Amino acid sequence: MPHIICCVKQVPDPETPASQFRVDEAAKKVVPVPGIAPVPSQFDTIGVEAALRIKDKTPDTTITILSLGPESYRDSIKHSLAMGADEGVLINDPALYEADHWVTAQVLAAAIGKLAPFDLVICGRQAVDWDMGVVGSTIAEILNVPCITIAKEIQYKDGQVVVERVLLDGFETAESPAPCVVTVSNELGEPRYPQLRQIMAAARKEVKVWTASDLGLDAAQLKNLVSLERLYVPEVKVETEIIDGETPQEKAEKLALKLREAKLI
Amino acid sequence: MPTPTLAALTEEQQLIVSEVRRFVEKEVLPIATELEHRDEYPAALIDQMKGLGMMGITIPPEYGGLGLPFTTYSAIVEELSRGWMSLGGVINTHAMVSWMINSFGTEEQKRCWLPAMATGEKRAGLCMTEPNAGSDLQAIQMTAVRDGDDYVLNGTKMFVSNGVQGKLFAVLTKTDPRAQPPYSGMTTFIVDKDETPGMTVGRLIEKLGYKGIDTTELFFEDARVPAGNVVGGEEGQGWYHIMATIEIGRINVASRAVGVATAALEDSVRYSKQRRTFGRPIADHQAIQLMLADMATKIEAARLLTRAAAARKDAGERADLWVGMAKLFATEVAQEVSLMALRIHGGYGYTKEMRVERYYRDAPFMLIGEGTNEIQKLVIARNILKMFGE
Repeated sequence: MPHIICCVKQVPDPETPASQFRVDEAAKKVVPVPGIAPVPSQFDTIGVEAALRIKDKTPDTTITILSLGPESYRDSIKHSLAMGADEGVLINDPALYEADHWVTAQVLAAAIGKLAPFDLVICGRQAVDWDMGVVGSTIAEILNVPCITIAKEIQYKDGQVVVERVLLDGFETAESPAPCVVTVSNELGEPRYPQLRQIMAAARKEVKVWTASDLGLDAAQLKNLVSLERLYVPEVKVETEIIDGETPQEKAEKLALKLREAKLI
Repeated sequence: MPTPTLAALTEEQQLIVSEVRRFVEKEVLPIATELEHRDEYPAALIDQMKGLGMMGITIPPEYGGLGLPFTTYSAIVEELSRGWMSLGGVINTHAMVSWMINSFGTEEQKRCWLPAMATGEKRAGLCMTEPNAGSDLQAIQMTAVRDGDDYVLNGTKMFVSNGVQGKLFAVLTKTDPRAQPPYSGMTTFIVDKDETPGMTVGRLIEKLGYKGIDTTELFFEDARVPAGNVVGGEEGQGWYHIMATIEIGRINVASRAVGVATAALEDSVRYSKQRRTFGRPIADHQAIQLMLADMATKIEAARLLTRAAAARKDAGERADLWVGMAKLFATEVAQEVSLMALRIHGGYGYTKEMRVERYYRDAPFMLIGEGTNEIQKLVIARNILKMFGE
């Protein structure tokens, strides 16, 4: 009876129009856009899809959704449950709201330990807000289990995990004994939409809520390793130059020369 | 994020609304206008809707459906229609016919038809209107004459949604054309198009809006239908079946109207924040704010009335007064709000580049569909007069 734990983060909707994106430079925070609800991080939802594909082939698989954040993160857990996951756990502790990747990984690893035994932990390759891409591998380091990153396919059979990885110039197949951590990429494919029947079931499912102390952790002892120096929206300057000439050939020659001078061709 | 509203939603309803909205945002909105302009049947979207379970929303679980109440159905239809009104229409007559079978059909009829309807394998349409009888429904001319174990149906039905794609049709006929009052001689049959020689689909009717959906004529020429297909097994009950069932259609149309009006408001708010005149966004101008205030207030009133009417139907009572009010009010609001949205968008609103022109063409359909608003007023007035006695 395989047990898969999927880590799901909630992020500002990446579809938010750029014109509405604001940061509070003094507070070093992204300002939530009124009227646009946060969403589960896209790669994490693809991770849930990967787990569900394993469950489709091995129906006695249990999928637990694990999330660290405030009460509003419950929405992302419920979405994952509606997709077909079995259980949800939210670690909600105000002392952890500012956690960096290191503290996040420690807390998630402690929760995974509490949820043990497990066969597979699936994370998105990176969260689509900060794009650091380190939590999955850090969890593996803390748990002292193998980690396979950037997967486009995960197969699980008889305690063995087979992963097809995305490389810059192709794919490679990696194998690991369970338990291990796998991070997934968008090449895995589109996540499924929840059926109404599953949504109804998800509404009835209870989400467990834990704090740091429930995990045997002292929040005061968990120190961020990363400090944010400055948060700002970079200024993008666009300069336009019209290339003039008598004939199309002359314009093209001048353009080519400009591009060569700029070392673009 | 769901539209802020005073309408109380259970946790289940909130989750359903937000998931349907996610589906609409990702799958419907990017293609709806293009499909609508081409008047193209949205086959892929409807397949997705089937897969999500939307054909069995109100069908009881024992027949393979979800057994959700009409308040939830209303919220789902609103969300779908916020993306494209035609999608709210796809499930309308289907939900009506399934409710009719479940409410008035025999156990054998329920077991025969509802499971295939719940999965969407067999989609349903409703045949009431005829070329010369719409609001005056008792004037229909279609006949059904008993012949052995069958009935023989003859006549023409008009404006049948799902006419091409649908398989099962609830068909209102006269089994006793001389009956007085005429409604006492009316009978409804469930007709399976694939099993009924003599039933043919006529032309696709071109419309101002409500595009993409197959609206057709249906012809019945000596079409033989088994006697076992009489809804409830008893002649003369058709009028009652249709009148109770049409309340479901009016909840649907009112919900569609709220969805279209909401889309018009949301587009207007976004546009008015971007579009600048006289050095500032037009949202800063009082003339625009007055329209936005009217739109938002009327839409919220329409939504609350619609949900309350749906709740009355959920209570198992006849709700013609309340659903009549909801249908009347919500559809008039949609018409008014879509015009205001067009005005806020100015010249661009009149172009096919903006969605508001679609809302403006879709809204009038709802003034007419499932009973014209003039008929709704008669229903409301008669109920009110009756309430106060002689």
